[in-house]
Amino acid sequence: MMATRRARGVGALVAMAALVAAIAALTAGGAGAGGQTAFALPRAQTLYISGNQWSPNVDLNPAKNWDYVTGLVGFAYETPFRYDPLSDKFIPWLASAGKWTSKTTYTMTVRSGVKWSDGQTMTPQDVKYSFDILKLATHPQHALWQDTGLKSTKVQGRNVVFTFGGTPGIQQFDFYRFNVAIVPQHVFQKYSKTEITTGNLSDPKKIVGTGPYAYESGVGASSETVVWKKRDGWWGTSALGLSVGPTYIVDIKNGTNAAALANLLRGNIDLFNNFAPKSAIRGQFKTYFDRAPYHLGANTTWLFPNTTKKPLDDKQFRRALANSINMGQIISKAYQGLVAKASPTGLLPIWDKWVDPKVVKQLGFSYSPGKAKAMLAAAGYKDTDGDGYVENKDGSAIDLKIVCPNGWSDWMTAIQVIADSAKAVGIKVTASFPEYSTLVDDRGHARYDLLLANDRQYSNTPWTYYQYIYQLPILDNQTTVNYERYTSPSAWSAVQALDKIPSSNTRAYQAVMSKLQRSFLQDLPAIPLWYNGMWSMVNTKYWTGWPSAQNGRFTPTSWRNYWQMTAIDMLTHLRPAKQS
Amino acid sequence: MTRYLARKVVIYLLTFFVAVTIDWAIPRFMPGDPIEGLLSRMKAQPGATEELTGYYSHAFGFDVPLWQQYLNFWAALLHGDLGRSIANFPTPVSELIMGALPYTLALLIPAILLSFWAGNKTGALAARRKVLDNTVLPASYVLTATPQMWLGIVLAWLFASTWAIFPVSGAYGLDVQPEWSLEFATSFLHHWILPFSALFLVAFGGWAIGMRNMIIYELESDYSNYLTALGAPSKLVRKYAYRNALLPQITGLALALGAVVAGAIVVEIVFSYPGLGTLTLSAIQNRDYFLIQGIFLFLITGVLIANFVIDLVYVVIDPRTRVGMQGGS
Repeated sequence: MMATRRARGVGALVAMAALVAAIAALTAGGAGAGGQTAFALPRAQTLYISGNQWSPNVDLNPAKNWDYVTGLVGFAYETPFRYDPLSDKFIPWLASAGKWTSKTTYTMTVRSGVKWSDGQTMTPQDVKYSFDILKLATHPQHALWQDTGLKSTKVQGRNVVFTFGGTPGIQQFDFYRFNVAIVPQHVFQKYSKTEITTGNLSDPKKIVGTGPYAYESGVGASSETVVWKKRDGWWGTSALGLSVGPTYIVDIKNGTNAAALANLLRGNIDLFNNFAPKSAIRGQFKTYFDRAPYHLGANTTWLFPNTTKKPLDDKQFRRALANSINMGQIISKAYQGLVAKASPTGLLPIWDKWVDPKVVKQLGFSYSPGKAKAMLAAAGYKDTDGDGYVENKDGSAIDLKIVCPNGWSDWMTAIQVIADSAKAVGIKVTASFPEYSTLVDDRGHARYDLLLANDRQYSNTPWTYYQYIYQLPILDNQTTVNYERYTSPSAWSAVQALDKIPSSNTRAYQAVMSKLQRSFLQDLPAIPLWYNGMWSMVNTKYWTGWPSAQNGRFTPTSWRNYWQMTAIDMLTHLRPAKQS
Repeated sequence: MTRYLARKVVIYLLTFFVAVTIDWAIPRFMPGDPIEGLLSRMKAQPGATEELTGYYSHAFGFDVPLWQQYLNFWAALLHGDLGRSIANFPTPVSELIMGALPYTLALLIPAILLSFWAGNKTGALAARRKVLDNTVLPASYVLTATPQMWLGIVLAWLFASTWAIFPVSGAYGLDVQPEWSLEFATSFLHHWILPFSALFLVAFGGWAIGMRNMIIYELESDYSNYLTALGAPSKLVRKYAYRNALLPQITGLALALGAVVAGAIVVEIVFSYPGLGTLTLSAIQNRDYFLIQGIFLFLITGVLIANFVIDLVYVVIDPRTRVGMQGGS
């Protein structure tokens, strides 16, 4: 009897211990994240977004524009200007105006009547300070001071005057006009230089911004969501009559694609900026375009050949390869028609007006296996050993490897198509899928034959695209540009010239653009493939007024660096679908 | 007793040393350079690359020879410093681990303890009841042979996707934040059930089979026959059989701990549960040396401590071990 009772006691004890452990763990988790919202959020006033945040929600540094929590710049911190990529216009934001007052000075007028969320007034000195901290060499945006010729900043009344030495890099400077977050000097001057450039500034209480939202809760190492709450007294309302629709915005950290998709289809997400299959576009779920390719093209996916290796150092070979690629098959097989073929120039659709049709007609390429074979033969690549594949001009075998990161399923399918279509014209290409970090390492040190990359997003200028392709000099490790290690001093000097021409000087600008397109298509240092989509599925059940091709042409995305384009306009146009 | 404990402690310390050394070495011998990965994510301008590489190499202590990095690692470790995450620089690794740990413990501890308790009880019952033996046994075989991850996917598909009874992923609802409130607690439990079940069911099957076989073996042993012959009630016989059968199961628990932790890691990934498993995955993907190191260090220490505790428990519950150690006969 004794034994029975004891055994029962142990069982109960074990179960109790388990429950206590669970509850204790739960509480500890709560203490870690530190919430303020003491109630569940009202669905009708809450906008759920997902697709931007991959890393833990711990980074509150507006300088770290690849890592900070979603909306930090846009909701809290704002920029002097915003840029509308779909109509190529700058929108005065914290600056009420700005213009070149001489060949080497730019004068920015700081908007008056703007208050920080702690009640202090935003001053031109804050704007100057925000640009000045970029002087620190380890600041992620330090290139402003290094590459544009900017020499000094000065406050003059309501203005901040930027003075340049020599001809300014106007295109680059324009980029910073809508990408430098204006921060409060009275808060930031208490941080050390290291904290400002590389720290996480992880105390949410110190987010003092000018924007339409204030931080509510969620920052923490294991947090899955960050909540922002609409703020009273945003300057945009009094100055521009704007008002953001959602009272709360909840950004959901990305988990697995399948889980995220299930959440979307259950109606738990209103704006979904990850890839979703075409079958998900139905009923209440809409996209920017109502027909293929459904999404805006956000960036060009390029095929980079290693131009330091035979036979990829030969432009004739690269051109033949470009003609061999069956883009139609990539679009249907890897993307179900959700992307569009890229212009042979590689320029995004937002830069269509700069594309020179004559050059494209004369030098462009498209899928044509017959032409590819003829080009190979004309360039002297023959199948001398009869194995069905062409050999190098010296008779050595060509055996190229094309790589993309393991697990990137759409790209994996795409490079398989590229390999197959190259083989069909007699070029031996094999697909392989290394881990992402291995690929990055190999890419930087030219230990590859062919690879895909799509680093450059929307910007105010095709300069960012040409710099990506042509930047010189070539370093031991090419971490972010010119992966193909292509050396063309004339093209690079044209890129530098482009930087110095204001886009308002259309004739001079077009001349350089045409020159670059001609040079690009003649040499084909990289092969543009398709426009990767600005994946955006919206749920119309709770919110209406979403951007679309017919109505409100704004960037429909929660991705970083798009809020200071026109994603904020999306918020000011959203309205609850039904009043509750 | 002291000798027994001393020997155990030495063995555990040695295991710890070797495991930690391997833990330090493995990420460093993985292909790929974490700082290059970081610069690539930053999209750093070419002019800044050199400056930034130098800065980060120094910040992470990669600018000294490997042997010195190893010594520095031990020095820091003994001061309780696990370093800073590379991908989420400069967040301390310990902060990331502490954030994720409660979620993993909330899954692991109940899963281990409840499955052990319920599995053994059920197995013992099954050994004596034909009906149970014909139903629970085959089910247990299937369960124990099922990978936790696969079971997790099946549960998610059935209960979250097809019937939509439970949420698909996460540890709590999107409309609440971690805090002391009824909304959060309910939401947490609702999200906890599926991943818990995936871990619980697989382990449950294993314990039930083990216990059922052990009980049958014990009931046929000499002491059981002798007790029965003496006229002891069968309930008492079964009680003794149960207690004897439990001993190998406890050894099994010690051995299974590592596997359960590994199972929890993959189950977390299936359910995007924000515990150590999900953190491990992102750490590996980002070549985050210090984070990988820190998580494994935590797991190693946890498993070693749990094993040590089980060794101690063994002394308490098995009179033979106790007597043996005290030199009795």
